[in-house]
Amino acid sequence: MKITVRAFADYREFIGKEMELIVPEEKTIGELLAELGDRYPKLRSEMFTPTGELKDFINIFINGRNIAFLKDMATPLTDGDIIALFPPVAGG
Amino acid sequence: MGGYNLDRYQRQISLWGVEGQESLRRARVLVAGVGGLGTIVAAYFAAAGVGFLRLADNDRVEISNLNRQLLFQPDDIGREKAVAATEKLHNLNPEIQIEGINKTIDDETADELIKDVDLIVDALDNFAARFILNKAAFTRRLPLIHGAVRGFFGQATTLIPGKTACLKCIFAQSPPREIFSIFGGTCGVIGAVQATEAVKVLTGRGEPLANRLFFWDGQAGEGTITVTKRNPHCVVCGGD
Repeated sequence: MKITVRAFADYREFIGKEMELIVPEEKTIGELLAELGDRYPKLRSEMFTPTGELKDFINIFINGRNIAFLKDMATPLTDGDIIALFPPVAGG
Repeated sequence: MGGYNLDRYQRQISLWGVEGQESLRRARVLVAGVGGLGTIVAAYFAAAGVGFLRLADNDRVEISNLNRQLLFQPDDIGREKAVAATEKLHNLNPEIQIEGINKTIDDETADELIKDVDLIVDALDNFAARFILNKAAFTRRLPLIHGAVRGFFGQATTLIPGKTACLKCIFAQSPPREIFSIFGGTCGVIGAVQATEAVKVLTGRGEPLANRLFFWDGQAGEGTITVTKRNPHCVVCGGD
């Protein structure tokens, strides 16, 4: 299945703006992010704690829904999903 | 419109008519946070003739604010931001009512600050306060214009109870509070977007950023839209 990953802000420096990935069926967002982390160690160190947990204030959207309100890292991916990775932007 | 000189607004009345301007004159707006975003948004509101502005912030002006908080000058260092900003904006437009309140948004103050306004601008600097404001705004069914900035990056979206996702549908957690890097121009971009959103909602013109998160990447020179969706299990709005 085809998955589009869009990176925003600092994350673009690590993985570029957008990539299309062909991945096998029955993959979760957690598995996909782990694979991206292996390919891009800087992305991994920004998004994950040293023990491998996703930092809880990182915003990951699948088709506009924050995975924190889906099944988190166990959220399954489906063909055509658009994933957006946003670091926190919180100042004012 | 006694004491409200329409000539002043001539160049925008041609956009939305006298009735649109009357909507702005009658509007009561809370600007929550009078920092990098709040000073910009409030200045555009005052210049555009929004009839009542409440400016809420409990900080005082510091020298490190002056790179972006364009309402403040060296003489203001140490003064309450809400008071100093009220004074500057009154000079900019004495035809409107401005109320500066030296309070932050918390569980005690939120409802008091919003209960008699028509629209709220989130110009806060942390998500803990934003989530409190979001809940209060949803309870009162008030439109909330979200904005946030860091470095060369910024985001904005318009949250309308019953029509769009609320802030808690989109963002899950409060990032740790930090002294964030910021260039004034980023506040200018996002503050101007927020002011535009507010004016659209108040005059009924245009297409608000409803269920659309505008993200500004000043480094790349690019703005993007990410479509957002309501969370049917949202602890604040329940997807309503």
